[in-house]
Amino acid sequence: MAPGAPATPLPLGLLPRLLAAFSGTTGLVIKLVFLSLANAMAVWAATVLVRDSRWIALSVLVAATLAIDSVYLSRRAVPLKFLVPGSVFLIAFSVVPVAYNVNVAFTNWSTGHLLAKEEAIEGIERSYLAPPADGRSYLMAPARDGRGQLVLILVDEADGSTFVGSRVGLEPLRRDAVEIDENGAIVGTEGYQLLEADELASLDTDLSAYTVPTKDGAAIRPEGFETAVELRPTLRYEADTDTFVRIEDGTVFRDNGKGSFVAASGEELEPGWKTRVGVENFTRLLKDPLVRKPFFRVFVWTFVFAGATVVASFALGLFLAIALNLPGLRFQRTYRSLLIVPYAVPAFLSLLVWRGLLNDEFGLVNRLLPFDVPWLFDPAWARVSVILVSLWLTFPYFFLVSLGALQSIPSELVEAARVDGAGPWQVFRRITFPLLLVAVAPLLIASFAFNFNNFNNIYLLTAGGPQASDQIVAGSTDILISYTWKLAFEAGKGQDYGLASAVSIVIFLIIASISALSFWRSRSLEEMR
Amino acid sequence: MFTSGRLRAVAGLAVAALVAVVAVSSGSSATNQSPTIRIWVDNVQKPAIEQITSAWASSKNATVDVVVKDFGKIRDDLKTVQVENAPDVIVGPHDWVGELAANGLVLPLFPRAAVRALFPTYALDAFSYGTAVKRLYGTPFALENIGLVVNTKLARVPTSFADFERQALAFKKKAKGNIALAVPQGAGGDAYHMYPFFSGLGGYVFGRNKAGNYDVSDIGLANPVFLKNAPMIDQWNKAGLINSKIDYGTGKDAFLKGKAAFWLTGPWETKTLKESGLKFTIVQMPKIKFNAVPFLGVQGYMVTKYATDHGVESLAKDLVGSYIPSTDVQRTLAGANGRYPANVQAGKQVRDPVLLQFGKAGVGGVPMPNIPQMASVWSELGGAWVKATRGSGAIPARVAFRTAARNIANKIG
Repeated sequence: MAPGAPATPLPLGLLPRLLAAFSGTTGLVIKLVFLSLANAMAVWAATVLVRDSRWIALSVLVAATLAIDSVYLSRRAVPLKFLVPGSVFLIAFSVVPVAYNVNVAFTNWSTGHLLAKEEAIEGIERSYLAPPADGRSYLMAPARDGRGQLVLILVDEADGSTFVGSRVGLEPLRRDAVEIDENGAIVGTEGYQLLEADELASLDTDLSAYTVPTKDGAAIRPEGFETAVELRPTLRYEADTDTFVRIEDGTVFRDNGKGSFVAASGEELEPGWKTRVGVENFTRLLKDPLVRKPFFRVFVWTFVFAGATVVASFALGLFLAIALNLPGLRFQRTYRSLLIVPYAVPAFLSLLVWRGLLNDEFGLVNRLLPFDVPWLFDPAWARVSVILVSLWLTFPYFFLVSLGALQSIPSELVEAARVDGAGPWQVFRRITFPLLLVAVAPLLIASFAFNFNNFNNIYLLTAGGPQASDQIVAGSTDILISYTWKLAFEAGKGQDYGLASAVSIVIFLIIASISALSFWRSRSLEEMR
Repeated sequence: MFTSGRLRAVAGLAVAALVAVVAVSSGSSATNQSPTIRIWVDNVQKPAIEQITSAWASSKNATVDVVVKDFGKIRDDLKTVQVENAPDVIVGPHDWVGELAANGLVLPLFPRAAVRALFPTYALDAFSYGTAVKRLYGTPFALENIGLVVNTKLARVPTSFADFERQALAFKKKAKGNIALAVPQGAGGDAYHMYPFFSGLGGYVFGRNKAGNYDVSDIGLANPVFLKNAPMIDQWNKAGLINSKIDYGTGKDAFLKGKAAFWLTGPWETKTLKESGLKFTIVQMPKIKFNAVPFLGVQGYMVTKYATDHGVESLAKDLVGSYIPSTDVQRTLAGANGRYPANVQAGKQVRDPVLLQFGKAGVGGVPMPNIPQMASVWSELGGAWVKATRGSGAIPARVAFRTAARNIANKIG
């Protein structure tokens, strides 16, 4: 087919011919290329899984790869050849994220609860260190003693006294035994062999963990290659009771079952760890006043926002579609193309431009109006603005859809109604609109579900604001999803992925039930046909 | 023509061959002899860190792998990165420290007294965090703060706050479209840029306990001193000195077009200011009831917990704790960002007049609190200013800030 030629429906023989083409050598080569790539990816993934000893995942991977290979290399299983790619993408992009989300909703994954428990214990042991009251810091040079053991040559920063530190303890060294250059670095020692750069590098782990015990549990620890500091742990981990004890006053920090070591006073050790917390996130939704109080208002507004956007956009789009569908209109194509512009411009850009246009004092809209409207600063007006901008972004979609649907309605039906004496309004109400609705209803539902979760519109235009004076977290234009975002990322200590996942599951349930109900209702429309 | 059976055999062989090739190539990533230290930086720091680490790395017989990330991604990706791809050292602002430390992702540093003495106390304090025992989590290299930029063709450098108020309001009245002060807020608010007014009226974000750590139960948004002074905000709003409808873009635009004589901004606009051809001086906002000090931002390098996992902990600590503090290195690193160096000696070598003026405008400033609870503060504090300074629809400042304080307390929980 020449480029630019009008599209013609597929000739009847094309499909079998296409199939035949793909069954030949060309098809085989294409198939092999894709299959080889898939296998190569599987092998790469397998090496990663083997290295991380994730045997269950590995066995799933091997089974899936073998299954895919056998489907495509065998001559049977033709339906499966068509189903497999779709299923793989469905699992990868829908099932796995949903399962992951559900999984997260039952954990405490949030700021301060990121690591595994062992890592957290290690982290606490490593960071709860403090210099003792008379703690000293030293210039340091790692060296080997006569027997080849790793020792630290130390020069007290305060008084210049020199020592050699070993795993046993600190021993004084003659001052003139240590040679210090003009930059203050240790460059030579009598009786000890200073380590060279490449040897230091290979001893990094030993050096990082090296301690020279001093007194009262304190020890000199290397900080890098040139410095050592005397530090004392402030906490002691007791493995048999799984508790931390503060050495200073004996306070006991116990595992509270929610991923933290907590004292009776409520004091908490950081970091905590990521763990399962059951339905804690869901009960928080019910109990926490921060969540509970504004929930209903936000919930209602979300409906209003999504409903108003869909209804208004559909009404406007349909009106324009009917108007521009009139036969004999001049510049019909120009008008149609112009109307699609808001749809063609990236929504991000439009939203930011609108935010500027609607600025109360400096925005173009208010400058053109004879009076000032507090578009973004007054709660009620901000809601209007949000809906108007959504309308701007959404109506071209419904315009396009309605235009297509209108053209697919057989003109005989309309003519027959006219002959029977129906006026234009009656024709629209009784013939055109119901037939249109059959095609458009599922799209209306989809659009509602989309706007129900239209985070960008809200966040980029008003960021949920202006703040409602009665509100805690939720602003006047926050919808459920932007409110969730604020709860999860702008409250407490910042990130709370567990809570956010729990709320998104609740939102999913709401949308799913609305959609199910609507689809069930819209089936009655189809019966009209 | 092949028979189909033979075809299938060929197919199988081809697949097996490709698999083998990939397997071999993935297995042959040779193990390096010299230790590698991976550093995550933004593209601004990249040339500087590459320059300063090249000499250091050869003296330590190490390899440096500099990975460029979007600035914000450095923090975000650190939370989810796999151990083998994780960085050993990262660059970041001090207000990340609380979150990173609470997550257990960065290691505490214990520099010698001589190294500590290279930095102003507040710069080290900005990088310190701890609920009970405070520890240092990074080496600062650059300081930044906002200052009052005065267009000296349109106004004099104010001698007092009353003088500033008079000049700003007189300028506003001169022509339609003039604004008194370009300080960005917008519908979302901007607590950072409003901080000089907040501190000037006696406000603070969090108090400190005896150990010098932030006390999140002491929220200073509604402290009695500030509330007593808060009616001044209502006056400013009424007179039009501060208007929350001005956002970053409109404020900057107004100043550059000569429609504002005063602009509160920071060193990230140095280039714009120099290229604007305007005559300007940068000073600290004049004292209101208290010194109207700005928030201080400090940038620094941190050692991550992954340095231990990678067996390069001492190497990373040597870079961050011993090498980066030195004067020449600090000058290079801060210079790349166009900021004032954190190292005091390097700071004395700054000759750029704009940078020097911004430096002076930050005297007495307060580091932004670095505790993770700040997430609950920004939108509330910014929101209180927006509500109190939105012109005719504004609510009394006392009410706005009291509400904000209560909300923050609730959000922190």
